[in-house]
Amino acid sequence: MSSDRDTTGEQAPADLAFDALADPVRRQILSVLSETDELSAGGLAERITTVGRTAVSTHLRVLRVAGLVTERRSGRYRYYAIDSRGAAADVIALLRSLFQGSLRDARSAAERHDSAGTPREDVG
Amino acid sequence: MGALAITVEDLAAVPPEVVFDRFGTGDDGGWLFGAVCDRLAVGAVVTLQAPVGGGPPVEMLGRISDLRRPVAVTIEHDQPWRGRIRLRFDRAPGGTRIRLHAEIDERGLEWVMRRRGLPVRERVATGPRLGVLTSRSGPGSLFAAAVANVAGLAVDEVNGDGGVDGGQVELLLADDATDPGTGALEALRLARAGCSTIVLMTTSATYDAVAAALAGHDVLVILANMNEGGGESRLRIRLGERPHTQLALAAGPLMRAAGGRRWFLAGNAYVWPRTVHAVARSVLPQHGGVLVGERFAPLGTRDFTPVIEAVRASGADVVLNTFVGADSAAFERQAHAMGLRERTVSLGPAMDEATLERIGPAAAEGIHAVSGYFQLLQTERNGSLLERYRARFGRWAPPLSTLSESMFEAIQVWATAARRARTTAPGPVADEIRRGRFDVPRGTIALDGDDAPVGQQLHVVATDGTRFVPVHVP
Repeated sequence: MSSDRDTTGEQAPADLAFDALADPVRRQILSVLSETDELSAGGLAERITTVGRTAVSTHLRVLRVAGLVTERRSGRYRYYAIDSRGAAADVIALLRSLFQGSLRDARSAAERHDSAGTPREDVG
Repeated sequence: MGALAITVEDLAAVPPEVVFDRFGTGDDGGWLFGAVCDRLAVGAVVTLQAPVGGGPPVEMLGRISDLRRPVAVTIEHDQPWRGRIRLRFDRAPGGTRIRLHAEIDERGLEWVMRRRGLPVRERVATGPRLGVLTSRSGPGSLFAAAVANVAGLAVDEVNGDGGVDGGQVELLLADDATDPGTGALEALRLARAGCSTIVLMTTSATYDAVAAALAGHDVLVILANMNEGGGESRLRIRLGERPHTQLALAAGPLMRAAGGRRWFLAGNAYVWPRTVHAVARSVLPQHGGVLVGERFAPLGTRDFTPVIEAVRASGADVVLNTFVGADSAAFERQAHAMGLRERTVSLGPAMDEATLERIGPAAAEGIHAVSGYFQLLQTERNGSLLERYRARFGRWAPPLSTLSESMFEAIQVWATAARRARTTAPGPVADEIRRGRFDVPRGTIALDGDDAPVGQQLHVVATDGTRFVPVHVP
């Protein structure tokens, strides 16, 4: 686990989080990471095709310093995950639970109305 | 692209057709955040109630942009951020796999982070900063749906034209959540971030709170939309229609449309509706009108039964509707559902196209408005604005109206004045705004010696489906 989150400096990680989130490639990296537990640098670079491997590394460093992702080293590999303590994890978790909840409602609504409902006429 | 993408899925023990057909229906709204839509059709408006980060649900306002029974529904929404929600339904063992894919862009992330109370640091300024404060949530999010779009368009056009004061204008957006206290705090944030001017498209209640909160700050506050006026000072400017002019023009045509002269005044309990009613009490009798009742309901009301029953009991011919945003839409829908439309017509000084499309064509009949702008206004500058707006934001972007479009004009006025003043310093810009005449989509506007807008032609309009068409005023 990376331990270089410095909360004593002038710019706390939370302050940096929005800057980090303001870049489209970094948002893409977070989108990819939000669907897995962790991913190696190589695995990430394969999924992010809009920029090269070096650029992905640079973006990962920004995300790490901002406290949005964690880095784990194992031998010569580095693995990245969304930092569960960071703002990105908070926002992603919020949105995921928001939309997941809406689907739960969808399921129960559809199942509840299965026998009672009649299809609408304006559906083509 | 470049948006943060969220994908979730779930299984329903019914076939895809059933899941699909239940979309947007049901007693408490349909599934997906209690989605409400009158028609399941491409282009139909949808309202989702999303429980974002505690507190009351936030209305996500959008429309259906793609529909394939029984496999897909796509919603493009504009509030509280601009984004897209794609739903797919796939047959799976035992029923349907429902997959939801949502995208949230930078402005959306900023909105969510602020709503969550996470600190969002302003970046280093790259040019003169212009603050825009409007309602991205709360009842006002409905009438303000196009404001972020037109503000972005106006600033980009100003910048394309060389910027202001030697720099590219940077737009900072804030959400008052249709709440004066939140509006004041957000205005202070914009001021701290270096905005020397803040343009509002909000209720007058928020304007009053902002004007007071920024007392002693060297910041120009401009209210773009219609308002009751008053409290003018060098750094406080209110553009937009005034109730006296609106009512004096619309009184006659409304009584002719109604075939009667009895008026009932109904609106939200805050400063603008109260002032409009006070003006109505003096203006309407001068035109032969008779006042038969008045009721107020707090902003955020969703059951208007007592108001509608009072209107019915009064025998009114015309309802002066001074509810705003989502309240106005809910009031008119309920008035129609309770049969009030058979005996009354309504005049909404703040009724606009964005509100109208949420009322829907059935309940919209008999609704009138009076304003300096409506979307179908036939001026060359408006035709050109609509083309640019649609080219940039697409056919599913919310309609322009006198409320949202006023933001576009206010930014044009500000930029023109700042160029003439050769500075973005608040005082000189305000003086230049008071001195000048400005060619904007609704016409040529200026302020008179009392700071009231002059030269703005107003139009009385009536509904034709969910469009406004002009009413002939002799």
